[in-house]
Amino acid sequence: MRNEKRMERLLGYSLVAPAMLLILAIAIWPVIQSFYYSLFDYRLNDPTKSSIHLSYSLDLEGYLQNYPFLKSALKQEMATADGQTKQTLAQIEQKLAKLDAAIRSDDQVAKQYDKVNEVLDNFGTPSDELKIAELDKQTAERLTVTVHDVVETLKKMKKAGELKQADKVVGLAEGLEGVVIEPNFVGLKHYKDSFSDMRLWKALWNTTFFTVVSVAIELVLGLGIALLINKAFFGRGLVRATILIPWAIPTAVSALMWKFLYDGQNGIVAHYFETVGLVDRMGDLLTTEAGAMFAVIFADVWKTTPYMALLLLAGLQTIPSSLYEAASIDGATKWQQFTKITLPLLKSSILVALLFRTLDAFRVFDLIYVLTGGGPANSTETISILAYKVMFSQTNFGAGSALAVIVFLCVAVISMIYIRWLGRDLLSDGSSVKR
Amino acid sequence: MQKKAGPFFYVFLALFVFFVMFPFLWVLLSSVKPLSELFGDKAFNWFTSHPTLKSYVSVFVNYPFLRYLWNSTVVATITTVYTVFVATFAAYAIARLEFKGKTVILGLVLAVSMFPQIATISPIYMFVKKFGLTNSYLGLIIPYTTFALPLSIWLLVTFFRKIPFDLEEAAKMDGATPMQTYFKVILPLAVPGVFTTSILVFIAAWNEFLFALTINTAEKYKTVPVGIAMFQGQYTIPWGEISAATVIVTIPLVIMVLLFQRRIVSGLTSGSVKE
Repeated sequence: MRNEKRMERLLGYSLVAPAMLLILAIAIWPVIQSFYYSLFDYRLNDPTKSSIHLSYSLDLEGYLQNYPFLKSALKQEMATADGQTKQTLAQIEQKLAKLDAAIRSDDQVAKQYDKVNEVLDNFGTPSDELKIAELDKQTAERLTVTVHDVVETLKKMKKAGELKQADKVVGLAEGLEGVVIEPNFVGLKHYKDSFSDMRLWKALWNTTFFTVVSVAIELVLGLGIALLINKAFFGRGLVRATILIPWAIPTAVSALMWKFLYDGQNGIVAHYFETVGLVDRMGDLLTTEAGAMFAVIFADVWKTTPYMALLLLAGLQTIPSSLYEAASIDGATKWQQFTKITLPLLKSSILVALLFRTLDAFRVFDLIYVLTGGGPANSTETISILAYKVMFSQTNFGAGSALAVIVFLCVAVISMIYIRWLGRDLLSDGSSVKR
Repeated sequence: MQKKAGPFFYVFLALFVFFVMFPFLWVLLSSVKPLSELFGDKAFNWFTSHPTLKSYVSVFVNYPFLRYLWNSTVVATITTVYTVFVATFAAYAIARLEFKGKTVILGLVLAVSMFPQIATISPIYMFVKKFGLTNSYLGLIIPYTTFALPLSIWLLVTFFRKIPFDLEEAAKMDGATPMQTYFKVILPLAVPGVFTTSILVFIAAWNEFLFALTINTAEKYKTVPVGIAMFQGQYTIPWGEISAATVIVTIPLVIMVLLFQRRIVSGLTSGSVKE
């Protein structure tokens, strides 16, 4: 018997394992990595910041395209110069040679150094892995300081007219300035910057406003509809299909459809809204701040109220009708029946529906991205839209990841609050959610 | 409560159906209007006297719309088949077998299904880019696991739990191993649940927007939602074509919903699942 139990446990774990590994690798690991990215100044369009560096490194390609030529150029200058100038040039040359030796003192770096040199001699381009060599902090700092000094000195000499090929020499020396790649670890700077930026607060406010208002309207309307259609009637199938279609259509497509209906010149819904006096001018719907927020919420309510009604209807159907019969015999009014029977028994259905809807609304992206793009003047820009823009329009992955982590934390807090309310119902066997 | 429905009720019902369906109705009417009647003073007329299918032809001739449909079908189908396959085993174990940490695992699945997509997109984008998977089917199928797998497990667990335990006990008495019980007893009974789960996962994958928008940017690999959303140009929006395309993608959905509405509703409400 004990053996059997053990077998069952082993079988359980091995059946769950593939799914768990996938979830770990494709969902949980990326979230951790997002947090890691958010600690770096990580930009895709800046070659020195297009990957993550915890330590100093050296761009050997840039170094070797300049240093050897600078060395020979200096030698040429020395050959024709005299006195003080010659001495200064010799000093510079020596300094650089010592530095070069220091760089090559590390075996690994020296190996990469020679390989890159070979590739460059054959007019090839070294791979990113080959050309970036890790450098200790001391050498890196020394390299930066020395190169800076050399450039300054050479510039002075150029001004004084002491150099024959001044432009070439100074140009080569300046080419050495960008070869040290500094670590782009910035700690919590992105978070600090985000929180001191009004745009984040505005986006957070927009998200919260959108979530609270649309979910509240959806709950009230959805509950009303569910109560009304919770009876036997002709054409249930048609109504059920009607409810499901807005839910099933891609949000991006329905957003585009609403954009057509809201259009300032030709939109039929905008036209009707103007006729009934809901907006002053048709164009106001998508071009004013309040109009755009209203338009977005209206479209969301249209898409998800039917779904909310469906969830609540399922909950309503679990309430035994005998309770209502008993209540009406005891002389309870309809309102009393609603507040004393329906609401308490529907509580967990309502909470579950609210949980899923709140989280969905808080993460809203497709609807707003297609309908308003976050405009006008960022008035409908939610936090997901902001994070997307920072990541993919400004290609600033570090700051964008910080915003994404903020979205994640908000969602985590919201779920925890709901789960507190729901208790363990959601997970345990025979849950009240189920039926 | 089974109350009788009165005439007022049917008026309300008709209004409700009309309001919900109005946008589709309008788009359907617009899709057969000639271009000149989409704009200007005729824009608010309900019916056109010169119906035309020009917009429909244009959708297929001027845009790679057929390609979008094909891409979405491939990505959504493969995602559904593979995630539901992996999920059936996990869900069976969670619903029917005794082992420690079950609740934690299910909690984890639920938590992951609540993850905001935006929180995973940057590492996933970098990963897909690194392995040269941008503009490929695999480049979408892998990220779609993030929402499809938790959704499948969550739904399947509730379906597996509904199968009576007596059957399993009986199989055990007859000397069947757990795997035999699974394949011979449980799985055949779970087919409707698996089917329902597949429909819901398919719809979720078909409708996905954010990953498709960032990962498959080439015309050749765009999915339907992104493809249609990108119909709008910098300065002009081809409303005729957009209306026609919307009708084309809605019609199969309407058919699917009419055919499977009972299943979809049972899936949506049994786990009280998102979306």
